[in-house]
Amino acid sequence: MNDWIAIGALALVGLLIPLGMMAVSYLLRPSVPETSKRATYESGEVPTGGTRIRFNIQYYMVALLFLVFDIETVLLFPWAVVYLDAVESDAVSLFEILAPMVAFVVILLIGLAWAWRNGAVEWAQTTRQVDAEGNRS
Amino acid sequence: MSAVTPLQNGDTVLLPERIADLTGLGEFGVAGELLAAFLGAFVIANLMMAMTGVAGPWAKRKITAAFTDRIAVNHLGPAGIFIIVADAVRLLSKENIIPENADRPAYDLAPIVIAGSALLGFAVIPMGSGIHLADPEVGLVFVFAVAGIASIGLVMAGYASGNKYSMLGGLRAVAQNVAYEIPLVVTGMSVVLFAGSLQMGTIVEAQAQPLVDLGVVSIPSWYALVNPFAFVLFLIANFAEVGRNPFDMPEAPAELIAGYQTEYSSVYFVLVYLGEFLHIFLGGAIIATIFLGGPAGPGPAELGIVWFLLKIWAVFLLTQWLRSAIPRVRIDQLIEIGWKGLLVLSFANLALTAAIVGVIA
Repeated sequence: MNDWIAIGALALVGLLIPLGMMAVSYLLRPSVPETSKRATYESGEVPTGGTRIRFNIQYYMVALLFLVFDIETVLLFPWAVVYLDAVESDAVSLFEILAPMVAFVVILLIGLAWAWRNGAVEWAQTTRQVDAEGNRS
Repeated sequence: MSAVTPLQNGDTVLLPERIADLTGLGEFGVAGELLAAFLGAFVIANLMMAMTGVAGPWAKRKITAAFTDRIAVNHLGPAGIFIIVADAVRLLSKENIIPENADRPAYDLAPIVIAGSALLGFAVIPMGSGIHLADPEVGLVFVFAVAGIASIGLVMAGYASGNKYSMLGGLRAVAQNVAYEIPLVVTGMSVVLFAGSLQMGTIVEAQAQPLVDLGVVSIPSWYALVNPFAFVLFLIANFAEVGRNPFDMPEAPAELIAGYQTEYSSVYFVLVYLGEFLHIFLGGAIIATIFLGGPAGPGPAELGIVWFLLKIWAVFLLTQWLRSAIPRVRIDQLIEIGWKGLLVLSFANLALTAAIVGVIA
């Protein structure tokens, strides 16, 4: 039997269970509409300003770094799968199996070191925080 | 029920086939196969929902209470266990309050995405006693990919709630998930180097080989014993991935109320909350499968499911222990631990494993 039929079936069940719970809840729950009830929660205060606030640039830097390393893991997986077979066969030497991947990883680690030096993996601080601590340029 | 066939590469009897044989559904062609697959999926999904049902309202309270020297729920039934039923009824019959700034389709879809993605991951996990829904060749990559879908659900929940706390919680959740996804996957890859396959059945089978034979008992070559360094790295990355202490930044109650779940109530809250527990158990299931020998344990093979559940509950207990014992890290520390610490260590582990496998083989 095809594995993916079973996985598709679980995807369907995984969709039906939440929908079923929502349906049961819809039948059980009361609805008492009031405008103040629906106000955005802000610790009991009247909400101020919009929600689409400016946030730390660091989230963007981390996402960019992630893209690079995520593609790298995709490239590493085929190598990891054939590694044991390649080592056990006598056709290729250990150096031939290891060297391309070591070179690849080292290039990426140089990239990480560069990002590290430029502060991409450090939490960006405001000028006020830097002044207070005085230890970050 | 017939004797359980031990897991063998290419000869695995999976749950849908087993159901088809037991009920005679196999004679009805494609429709019978589909129904058998559906029934198998239903069994697995409900088994895991039952686990989270026990863990969420009851076990979590009892464990935390034991750590902090309290009693917790004790009124309904023995040791308060019927609180599960009471809580289910209470939460499902609450009014569902949609905040006025909510971004509607995304706000409603996020709980389904969070809960559904976690359930889907269990498809490839061998749970022993023949409870194994599917065993595709890409099993390990599949389970990482599916667990990663949760990030989308968290962003949807955080952004669509129209609340500043939710927004910051969702952003933190994603920054954390992407920072620890790489160490998690790279450490998982070191297991692939040992097993030479991504198929979950093969990985479990490879761990059944004896590592040390002490005459009376032989210690199996569980990868947690073969490579403890990778096991510890994977545990830490996993706790960050599922957002548990000391990495529970996304919902840090003292700073962000409840993070991305602040504006959720009623059944939506139940789904988000259950989804988180499903993700803890999915993390536990991955750890059990690739590091702790899956359903392996002393006794007959029919006991596999018992050992498997014991292992995932052990991981759950560990998350609750850390919750009571370890302070939370700050967001800047979190990013630095992930990118400067775990990432570098996970590559060191990969190189070390490759060298070990190269020398042994």
